[in-house]
Amino acid sequence: MKSAFALSGLLAAALVASTAVNAQTTLNVATAGDQNMVDYINEYLGPMFEKQNPGVKVRAVGTGAGDAGSQKVFERLDAQAKANAPQWDVDVAVVHQKITGKLVTDKLLANYRSTIETAPLVTNANAKAALGTPVEGYVMPMFNSQTAIAYNPDIVKNPPATYDELVEWVKKNPKQFGYNGIKGGMSGVSFVMGWMYAYGPDAKKLENGPFEADLVKSAGWTDAMGKLKEFNKNVTFTPGNAGTLDMLNRGEIAMGPVWVDMFYSWKTEGRLNPSMKLKLVGPGMPGQPMYYVVPAKAANADLAKKFVALATSPAVQAEGVVKRFNWYPGIDAKHVQANLDAATWQKLFTDVTPEELATKGRSFPVGPYFDAILESYERQGASN
Amino acid sequence: MPSRALGLSLVAPALLTVAIFFIYPLGYSFVSAFSTSSGWSLANLQKAVELYRDDILFTVVIVGLSTALIGLCSIAIGGYLTLGENPRAVAVLKFLYRWPLFIPFIVAGQLMRTFLAKNGMLNNTLVSAGLLTPAETISLLDWRGIVITFVWKQTPFVALLVAGAMASLDRSTIESARNLGASRLRILWEIVVPQVRASLTVGLTLSFVTMMSVLSVPLMINAQSPTTITANMAFRINAYGDYGVANALGVISILLTGGVAWLYLRQASRDKGRAFS
Amino acid sequence: MSTVPLSARLPVPEGLSRSGLDLLKRWMRPLLRGLALGLLAFAIFGPILNMLLWTVAERWFFPNKLPSQWGFAFWGRVFSPRGNALESLTTSVGIALGVVVLSLALAIPAGYALARLKLPARAFILLMFLVPQAFPNLPVYMNIARLFYEVGLNGTITGVILVHTVHGLVYAVWIATAAFAAVDPSLEEAARISGAGPTRTFRDVTLPLALPGLMASAVFVFLESLDEFTATFFVGAPEVNTLPLLLYTASAGGNYQIASITALILLVPSIGFMLLVERFLRADVLAKVGQ
Repeated sequence: MKSAFALSGLLAAALVASTAVNAQTTLNVATAGDQNMVDYINEYLGPMFEKQNPGVKVRAVGTGAGDAGSQKVFERLDAQAKANAPQWDVDVAVVHQKITGKLVTDKLLANYRSTIETAPLVTNANAKAALGTPVEGYVMPMFNSQTAIAYNPDIVKNPPATYDELVEWVKKNPKQFGYNGIKGGMSGVSFVMGWMYAYGPDAKKLENGPFEADLVKSAGWTDAMGKLKEFNKNVTFTPGNAGTLDMLNRGEIAMGPVWVDMFYSWKTEGRLNPSMKLKLVGPGMPGQPMYYVVPAKAANADLAKKFVALATSPAVQAEGVVKRFNWYPGIDAKHVQANLDAATWQKLFTDVTPEELATKGRSFPVGPYFDAILESYERQGASN
Repeated sequence: MPSRALGLSLVAPALLTVAIFFIYPLGYSFVSAFSTSSGWSLANLQKAVELYRDDILFTVVIVGLSTALIGLCSIAIGGYLTLGENPRAVAVLKFLYRWPLFIPFIVAGQLMRTFLAKNGMLNNTLVSAGLLTPAETISLLDWRGIVITFVWKQTPFVALLVAGAMASLDRSTIESARNLGASRLRILWEIVVPQVRASLTVGLTLSFVTMMSVLSVPLMINAQSPTTITANMAFRINAYGDYGVANALGVISILLTGGVAWLYLRQASRDKGRAFS
Repeated sequence: MSTVPLSARLPVPEGLSRSGLDLLKRWMRPLLRGLALGLLAFAIFGPILNMLLWTVAERWFFPNKLPSQWGFAFWGRVFSPRGNALESLTTSVGIALGVVVLSLALAIPAGYALARLKLPARAFILLMFLVPQAFPNLPVYMNIARLFYEVGLNGTITGVILVHTVHGLVYAVWIATAAFAAVDPSLEEAARISGAGPTRTFRDVTLPLALPGLMASAVFVFLESLDEFTATFFVGAPEVNTLPLLLYTASAGGNYQIASITALILLVPSIGFMLLVERFLRADVLAKVGQ
């Protein structure tokens, strides 16, 4: 037993000592989102960057899915800022919109976009503002994601095209529609946001601002929330984004809101029946980009910018973002389409056409309305 | 060196480690719970209670229920290991019951997510065995799933302590009761359990405290509202960036668990005192 | 208050003779026993079996009761050179062992003091160790990370070991206290009377007798460390890469294949460590835990 003790002590000591210095530079990338985000760097982007920059090693850390993952990135940078660390241990971060606004207002990011060559390839409004907070110069979109309603075509012969039709269908088929509320993940949150766009007062103001506290107290708002509470009586609640896909897969529900890219990856990885389809219901459902950001005191800022430039180049966006991972490109579509064959491009739009995307693909409400909707939902005890 | 000083200096390294690396950072959380942008206030606590009163009750009820069930299962397992008369059955039980101990909570949540679903393995097996029709299957992915997962994961820990305590009992009282014709169930309940009460309560206290702080299991299994305190803390931080209310919820949680632990320790020292009187 | 056994009070069904009832009784008991054990085995191994199926499933979706395509493709992904699985595993196990060493080093003197010596506010001290488990850790880790950044402990294995230790110390201290309390004081007295000094007595008499209990606490501390994700992320990543980090992202994202494979890999050191110290989990020590 004594020797076992000594051995474990030695092993631990060796490990402590072995946080040894690497002869090469390490680029640290922290990415929120699912495992496929980490895979993207480990399997595709990382090796490519390393080949172009010998002596550099790319190290990816996944911080977890959804806003929770982005929150963790924020907390790391915030902790280092408050500790007055001279250099921070994250060089590139990939985060969601909500936290990006906070990162910019708290001055945790570098204004780098103008210094990279791919900067002019993005003209979308979401590169200028994140949920209403101006972020121009601090971000480059990595990809765009969209939510839609996934359905089982064997059970649902005529999928609803609007929220109204959906409400009708759910009334006739109780418990066959499932979503994860607002605490389970962003697909549920986006369904609720889409609901407010459909039934709440002044959808345009919700999406673009400015924020007026009166709107939250208005009758239209309360009505919409009340309708949602009614609607919730006939739904099945699912445990998370994965939960919705799970239950859809097992035939426990026939329809549910999902992230389009998550939908496609589950199909590719054999966890979802290939026959499932998508429908983007009107007047619209939100989607959001994920951003590449460079922390203000990143240890390897120049390398970080090179990395982002590579990641947002048309070739990589075509091969990596669209072809391998079924995401909508972050830079303008026209730059990417030229690098892909027609078949691959079309695959992106099998269930949701570019026109539908253009008219019904919305962004999330601006920050204060976003929070207000969540809080009203909570207060109403709208059942989840 | 006087015994008191020696005692304190021996405990000091462990205490200091906890104090510096947890209690001190925890202080910031407490400050955050009791202050808003305008200084000290109880607003966060008020908001926490106002929005999450049902959830707090829910958490206490399901963790309490889980603890009670764990107690019963541990007594049953320990009892059979001590009083069981078929050596092969005892050996099988000994082999079986420890396995969930090695499964981390997040893995347990993962396992149960597919096991307890409407068309999950549990229901599929029941249907294949002809005990249920597909239409009758129910999904256990709600508060029942949380309780099942907690009981599944924590019972081996408490059973280990309880079985150990039972095995070290003086068998003469058990033997004489058997000779008088008492059933084994009665022996278990009236003779064995009172003597291992101390081990049982410490295992249950530690389990209660651990379960109150688990985040992964409720997130992965419970889709419904109400949900647990920890899930709400995570939601508060991730959706609103609201550390004040999240920390206030944490304060409520530690008051609950601290209260339970304090009751246990007082009871334990009272028992000790009684033994010497 | 009747002492007549239950079985004798059962009504005898018509047509069944006395000996027939005895035969039924003789078969009923083993049958019930077998059934109970079978159900228990299903309850324990059913979910685990489900996980095992996912480790070798390449395609599995409803309505198939079993995977439609089997294979080890996902093992390839987990163990890919960039997947870091082996490195993460070694790091995780190394950290867990380090945590065990540090916890015991802190808990042995503390446990001895709490068991043998008169201490003021004994209950309060015991409660202090409970606090890291009692306050849900999510909001605290940010503060811990800040502290660690200030002292340069962030991203180091030492830092991760410290945080895991703090978390598991309640098991180490409470169980160590029990282990020392279980040692018969008269044995120590005998050694002292024979002329041994206090340190020698402790080293040669008390410690070996308490060792089984200390090994029990080692098991629990080891398992706690392997289970820990949030602490390791805040304090260790990206330099320190552990398997729970991989497991967490895969599991929360619904990537069942990778989650199950990582879980299976994590099981190996857990069970290995348990088998190693199994013979120390003795009854009389476990009896005195928490007293």
